[in-house]
Amino acid sequence: MIDDLTAAREQMELSLSFHIVFAVLGVGMPWLMLAAEWRGLRTGDARWTALAKRWSKAVAVLFAVGAVSGTVLSIEFGVLWPAFMARFGSAIGLSFTLESFAFFIEAIFLALYLYGWKRLSPRVHLLTAVPVAVGGMASALFVTTANAWMNGPVGLVAGPGGGLVATDALGPFRAPTAGAQMVHMGLAALMCTGLAVAAVYAFAMLRDPARRDGYHRRGLAAGAVLGLVSAPLQVLVGDWATRVVADVQPAKFAAMESLPRTMDGAPFHAGPFEIPNALSLLLHFDPNARVVGMDAIAAPDRPPVSVVHWSFQIMAGIGTALVALAAWALWLHLRHRRGRRHGRNVPHPTARRGFLLAMVVAGPAPFVALLAGWVVTEVGRQPWIVYRVMRVPEALTTQTGLASYLYVTAVVYLVLAVALVAILRRIARGATPPDPAPMAAARDEVPA
Amino acid sequence: MSALDGLGVVIFVGLAAYAVLGGADFGAGLWDLSRDRAQRDLVARAMAPVWEANHVWLIFVVITLFTGFPGAFGVLSRALVGPVSIALLGIVLRGAAFVFRQYGASPDPDAPVGAGRPVRGTALWGRVFAISSLLTPFAFGAAAGALAGGNLRADGSAGLWRPYLAPLPVLAGLLAVTCCAYLAAVYLSRDAERIGSPALVSRFRRRALGTGMLAGGLALAALPLLPPALGGELRGVGLPAVLVSATGGVLGLVLLWRRRHALARVAAASAPAGLLAGWALGMHPWVLPGQVLLADSAAPPAIAGPVLVVLLTGLLIIAPCYVFMLRVLRAHPD
Repeated sequence: MIDDLTAAREQMELSLSFHIVFAVLGVGMPWLMLAAEWRGLRTGDARWTALAKRWSKAVAVLFAVGAVSGTVLSIEFGVLWPAFMARFGSAIGLSFTLESFAFFIEAIFLALYLYGWKRLSPRVHLLTAVPVAVGGMASALFVTTANAWMNGPVGLVAGPGGGLVATDALGPFRAPTAGAQMVHMGLAALMCTGLAVAAVYAFAMLRDPARRDGYHRRGLAAGAVLGLVSAPLQVLVGDWATRVVADVQPAKFAAMESLPRTMDGAPFHAGPFEIPNALSLLLHFDPNARVVGMDAIAAPDRPPVSVVHWSFQIMAGIGTALVALAAWALWLHLRHRRGRRHGRNVPHPTARRGFLLAMVVAGPAPFVALLAGWVVTEVGRQPWIVYRVMRVPEALTTQTGLASYLYVTAVVYLVLAVALVAILRRIARGATPPDPAPMAAARDEVPA
Repeated sequence: MSALDGLGVVIFVGLAAYAVLGGADFGAGLWDLSRDRAQRDLVARAMAPVWEANHVWLIFVVITLFTGFPGAFGVLSRALVGPVSIALLGIVLRGAAFVFRQYGASPDPDAPVGAGRPVRGTALWGRVFAISSLLTPFAFGAAAGALAGGNLRADGSAGLWRPYLAPLPVLAGLLAVTCCAYLAAVYLSRDAERIGSPALVSRFRRRALGTGMLAGGLALAALPLLPPALGGELRGVGLPAVLVSATGGVLGLVLLWRRRHALARVAAASAPAGLLAGWALGMHPWVLPGQVLLADSAAPPAIAGPVLVVLLTGLLIIAPCYVFMLRVLRAHPD
């Protein structure tokens, strides 16, 4: 049996990982659904409308799983870390209060969207998707501010009992990492969704060339545009987030960069390579600038280095690879478009097996990066639950036997994940609308 | 009235909304345990659009509790680990099983629910949905009973399960399940009326009458089990709540008997809401009677004030949205 602290940590990690993977899809999918329905309405192309309908089923299932797994988290905070919640529940309260309203809005309008296809006019129906998309994104961003507060607590003053008391309701929004974390999380949700959706259609086209039709191309294009446009933006935001961490949480930064000693002219690690002076240059725009290393952190306050370092490398590596994929996709698309304009026969990007294969591989990649990023921010904060204010063991419940909770949670989530994937595959199957007849198709092929 | 009192009222409103709206969705699970396809379809149609919005009330209550009364949240989290874990298990399985059953059943996205060859295991998820629907209300009811009975300790030292293996918590758990089944039957009889199915109307009407009388009986049976202090509160400050509950319960049965299903819903909902109000007034000002005061566990005023403003504004925004959704989506003949 593992000890209670480890069990509680693992349980938190398991529930958060499960929730985040399905929740990002619940956050991103409504935007795709909205875009597809809008294009269907504007162009009269039945294939876009069919995609919107198909995606709305996936959103319904993902939203339900996201809602119940999110409930587990909000109650688990108390069951596992009652001392943390008793002291700082009100400090992060506004984040969650706003999140609950965003969630209400999302649930109410998602019901209207899902069950209102025949009861609302097409225009009103389309409009109901807007609060779903905005509410979903807002709820994710609000919750992220609570995590930002744990990374950089603000608004605390010494209370009458000697302990620190939260006095600023807006504390989570004023936390130094809040801005970078929110944008980073929001883009991550869009990237994961876009590339996961694109991978589904790329896989179908790869397996069955007959499926390289307008419906599947549109599905792939919508996902690829969302995911691949987010990728380069995400690299820039990641750079911003890293600078904020270097300023606010030097211990986390030293672990990310695996910097044992404070030094002038620090090298930059990229996988197995080490580039001299590059870290100083990147961080301070001066190759000889001083970068704080782990030796500046008191031994009991140091996070585990190798987990954080390698997770960071994995995340950054995947991000870079996806930017390369975005560049390739853009090049293929532009070449195809130019070729068609000049009457040359340049194949559509989806006619290339290599490109389809790359899109299939790129489906799970941002999820790996997402989880790695969470490992960086959560493990990099250790040993603190609230940075420099409360250590994780101080927050732990006095309840024992937490390992059995962990095992039950693991079994339940495993069963749910298997069933969920089976249902999503079932939703993806089924008849798809054919391409229009040749004459209409010719008009359809005019570049947009 | 201070901001903290306001937060307390908001928490109660959320709890009552969860009980009468979310509770009916749990009760519907019981009526899903039926061989009759038409009955199961009615349950699915009535529940599908609303259960998630109704479920958010629970998240809302949890969040408002830890924001407004973090100390109470910490104490309750320690003391209620057992029933809360069971309730969570029920919530996760119920919610997931319901969508799995719904979307696993039909291969063609545009086919009506239940058409075509289902994904393997869909029938099993249907059973999981029905059975897990009973876990959550029982666990929450038992938790409320143990709190009222004074069986719990602030540090959780009363034990994981032992405090609940007493007559009052068990009775309260059964009462919660019966109330949910009653509410669901009342609402479903109105929904059956709306889709024009006399057979389902009379079936749910009979069940509503049966479970309604059972719930009333269980509530009366719980009264002598209450600790004297709580019983005194119910005869004093809690009396209006008790009267609302009793009147609503009797009126609900009379209206059902006279087949006034639309009105019966309002009366029926006021019975458990009044019961909950009586419980809350009886517990006030304690979190754990004789041990932890609600006021000692409160958020600083600098946070309680702004949060209350956000809560009231938010409720003003979502209430009309919710009503609009119900009006658009309520069951009617296809």
